[in-house]
Amino acid sequence: MSGIATSAPKGHIEVRNFSLSYETIDGAVQAVTDTHIHVKPGEFVSIVGPSGCGKSTFLNAVAGFLKPTTGTITVDGERVSGPSAERGMVFQQYSLFPWKTVRENVEFGLKMRGMPRSQRERAARTLLGLAGLEAFEKHYPEKLSGGMKQRVGIVRALATGPKVLLLDEPFGALDAQTRVIMQQILTNMWQRLKISVLFVTHDIDEAIFLSDRVYCMTARPGSIKAEIPIPLERPRQQSMMMSSEFLALRRGLMSLIREESLRAMGGEINDLGMQGLNIELHGHSLADVI
Amino acid sequence: MRATAIGIVSLLAFLLVWHLLTTYRVVFFVRFTNVPSPLAVYASFTKAIHDPKFLMHILLSCRRIFIGFSLAAVVGVPLALIMGRFKLVHEVIFPVTEVLRPIPAIAWVPMAIMLWPTNEQSIVFITFLGSFFPILVNTLHGMSLVDPVLVRAAQCLGARERSIFREVYFPASLPHIFTGLTIGMGVAWVSLIAAEMISGQYGIGYFTWEAYSLVQYADIALGMIAIGVLGLGSSLLIRGAGHLVMPWRSK
Repeated sequence: MSGIATSAPKGHIEVRNFSLSYETIDGAVQAVTDTHIHVKPGEFVSIVGPSGCGKSTFLNAVAGFLKPTTGTITVDGERVSGPSAERGMVFQQYSLFPWKTVRENVEFGLKMRGMPRSQRERAARTLLGLAGLEAFEKHYPEKLSGGMKQRVGIVRALATGPKVLLLDEPFGALDAQTRVIMQQILTNMWQRLKISVLFVTHDIDEAIFLSDRVYCMTARPGSIKAEIPIPLERPRQQSMMMSSEFLALRRGLMSLIREESLRAMGGEINDLGMQGLNIELHGHSLADVI
Repeated sequence: MRATAIGIVSLLAFLLVWHLLTTYRVVFFVRFTNVPSPLAVYASFTKAIHDPKFLMHILLSCRRIFIGFSLAAVVGVPLALIMGRFKLVHEVIFPVTEVLRPIPAIAWVPMAIMLWPTNEQSIVFITFLGSFFPILVNTLHGMSLVDPVLVRAAQCLGARERSIFREVYFPASLPHIFTGLTIGMGVAWVSLIAAEMISGQYGIGYFTWEAYSLVQYADIALGMIAIGVLGLGSSLLIRGAGHLVMPWRSK
């Protein structure tokens, strides 16, 4: 099993002075500005923020799809210059190849690496077994449920033994029950593989439940507003989400995001003539926040 | 099951109406005076299947379709794939194809006769032209619809340019390629029959036209039906090939 049974954690992500802007017809738009983050080897880190804050853009830059306008991204000291199998990615829309069976999807990265057919078939079967999908290896993705598709997506990204797993709102399209199961599966795989995870979500509970640390982003142009360590013990259980510790973390993060969401919507609210609503934000009126 | 039954009844009704219109030689705006009856056509069919000349007409038409259509697919599909992937190639070739595309293949007949040394080659050329543009345009369309997220997924699994082309762009475009092939096959037959009627000495189109000149009216209908059956058969072949090549799309 190549890349599966590694012992020493790897995948130190370091992002410094990062900013990203892109050109539109109306001129340059600043998507992300002045962002510093790091992920220690083997650490699970989430980025949360109001929608449109540039967190997915940021993740795409770490994956190597977008070039930073300023700043650097390195993984284990090596500069990111383009997409690579070292940084596995899981997409919200699953992005499985519809013309490949479940097993062929999982084999893809190994095939690209030139692994012989019989060897990669065996590797893919083992991985699918870990995800409880061995019975579906010959199915085409279209026949699978959303949760199964995303399990294939995760297994496919892990098959090449990447140093880092990047996930872009991977469970956003799933129902609540499936989502909880997927979070468990992801946690198990992460603990087993000891790789670094950078997880983008807008779901605060999900971020707290999964992560060692959570970065909260500001509204556009996105930058890091706060960094919150999550000192909850592992293994974590579903029941933990009712604990006072969890709820305190949740309240803190919630108000940070709320501030930013309102700031992002400030213009709209003003346009609608809704200043008089006096929405309360821990002591401040909306006007102070805007 | 129900649809099949209704289909059969509907076809039988069609034959009955045809039979009645021709036996009573109805003249009502259109004249059925000389139109052959279904029975007369059946009689000439039983005669024709034992006639090596009739079979040769059919075989020759099929050969022209096979060569012309295959060439169009072999040239059109890769060309469109490359045009869809490389902007410069697209910018160079697309204007030319846009100018040539609206010209019906039949309008090429005089030019084709001048261009090619033999009649046979010019007819195959007309067939090629007829199927080439639908194949090209549909493949291009398929290329433009490839989901960029799938390309990204392949890239971060370590795929390089050539693998992305083979493993993503090509299979993702296949459904549209097959749409192009199906339409192209239809237009190939249209072009072939027209070309055979104008300049052929053999072929099922020529057979049909010749029957009119020789006042063998039953053979006109026989030729038409033969063309219909051949067209249907070839489009079924393409559909079957599509199911074989794209197993993920069949239910």
